[in-house]
Amino acid sequence: MNNEELEKLAKSVRKRIFKFKTKSGYGHLASCLSCVDILASLYYDEETNYDHTKDAIIFSKGHGSPSIYPILVDLGYVDESELDKYCTPEGILRLHADSSIPGCNFVAGSLGNGIGYAAGLAYGTQKNVVVMLGDAELYEGSVWESIIFIAHHNIKNLTMVVDRNAMGILGKTEELLKLEPLEEKFASFGLDVVTVDGHNFDELRKAFSTESDRPRMIIANTIKGKGVSYMEDVWQYHTIIPKDEEEIRIGIEELT
Amino acid sequence: MSSQRDIFLTRLFERAKEDKDIYLISVDMGAPALDRWRQELPDQFFAAGISEQNAINFAAGLSAAGKKVYVYFMACWVARCFEQIRYSCAMANNPITILGNGVALGYAPAGPAHEPTEDLTYMRSLCDIEIYSPTNGEVTEKLVDLTCDVPKLRYVRLERKYPEKLDNLSKNTKLTSEFIERGLSVISPEMPESSRQISNSKICILSSGYMLGRAIDVSEKLMTLGYEVGIVDLWRIKPINSELFKQTVSPYEFLVTLEEQTLFGGFGSAVAEVVVDLSLDKDVLRIGLPERYIFENGDREHLLNANGLSVESICEKIRTRLP
Repeated sequence: MNNEELEKLAKSVRKRIFKFKTKSGYGHLASCLSCVDILASLYYDEETNYDHTKDAIIFSKGHGSPSIYPILVDLGYVDESELDKYCTPEGILRLHADSSIPGCNFVAGSLGNGIGYAAGLAYGTQKNVVVMLGDAELYEGSVWESIIFIAHHNIKNLTMVVDRNAMGILGKTEELLKLEPLEEKFASFGLDVVTVDGHNFDELRKAFSTESDRPRMIIANTIKGKGVSYMEDVWQYHTIIPKDEEEIRIGIEELT
Repeated sequence: MSSQRDIFLTRLFERAKEDKDIYLISVDMGAPALDRWRQELPDQFFAAGISEQNAINFAAGLSAAGKKVYVYFMACWVARCFEQIRYSCAMANNPITILGNGVALGYAPAGPAHEPTEDLTYMRSLCDIEIYSPTNGEVTEKLVDLTCDVPKLRYVRLERKYPEKLDNLSKNTKLTSEFIERGLSVISPEMPESSRQISNSKICILSSGYMLGRAIDVSEKLMTLGYEVGIVDLWRIKPINSELFKQTVSPYEFLVTLEEQTLFGGFGSAVAEVVVDLSLDKDVLRIGLPERYIFENGDREHLLNANGLSVESICEKIRTRLP
């Protein structure tokens, strides 16, 4: 699939996320928007190694997991009407995805745990397993316990992706509590590390189609709130979902 | 005194030789039985290092891949990965077996950091987990087969050492997996012929694991004083088999729970919940450790005796509370 088509699909995914989040008022909209291009690359771009019919993605960054819902609709896992029923008693789609939802392989919501779980799944199945981590999730010590283990056992069929939107709830990670130099840190543990622009489909395609003799860690630099101008890189939007009609109108317009 | 850990791991090793889906993850713990495992089945063994959280998460992922996974560490560290057990195993329905070695004061005199005296309380709170405190070596061995054959999230509380007299309890019983799953059985000591009955209340002492040995000592002393006493070995603490429990305690008016835990939410609480839920007309006396962390020096027996759980002290508590 060419980049133009991918961008169009990704925009459509963002628009639908924006709609069901603003309609319900529940969840972490900005965190969902930052990782959409990564998912679009994995799910829609045939040139990546990921095959959603056989492989598995684990959302360690559980609050971003609803970003997958429009994609599950596109691929036929979930009926389109479910998006409108997000977080309602009648619907199956939840604020944090779980394995009761077709196409989901995990229970999301507790940070720092998906990576170790994904490692076990990868080791036990030999599937390609992709685990999506948040950057602020890297403060959890359990993540680093798992990285030591994954590197030692050279679990090559596990790809780790950090959605590096550079923010936690309270602001920028580098101002609150430094995470950098991340690339060097991961590399020193023995991982094959690459940093990409998480909104560039050429770079994502290359990262997701390159074979390695070591477990891969992809640091995807992204923009929190991507696609909605007034939300982009504004930390207060971690928990705030636009309610004002004009804000919602602008958001939908910008994502159309 | 025998080690349930070595009995469990030895039997599990035999099963693992026949079943390549069995994996053992050691969280920086050794054991004589492990040495052979590491040599002969290296592909079914992981040294996780001192990393309880990753060990449980990785085990949950392996379980999701259809493997039978055992995580082995000191019982005190279940608190350290409680969230991972709750989230990745209980919530996500990934059955694994957690082997907690050295429950309660079993690691004395290591101090309270190594002596989990409230693990039953927090582990019992997990939805749909099974918790076992095996009686002796035979029950421990049978538990291996149950955990291999029937997938379930389980916490198996292993005694580093247990009183040898507990081995005799299984002599006349055929220990099948079905029997182990019953979760409890009555031990009925014979009243000494010379005894006279001095109370109308029949006493039933309920306990498990190491403390079951003490329950036997207490019952013997009480019987020489003329009391009628039965003992129930309740090796599956969650869930308690309610119907069987009701039948088993029906001849007794006075129930005593004996545990090596603090009393909030532990073994005695589990029994009291069943008594209340079934509206059983029984008096219940819960006997356990005081509400504090124990920093004194001394071995397990010393610490038990010094903290209100000597045979004499237990007998006195029971006699004082008898109706």
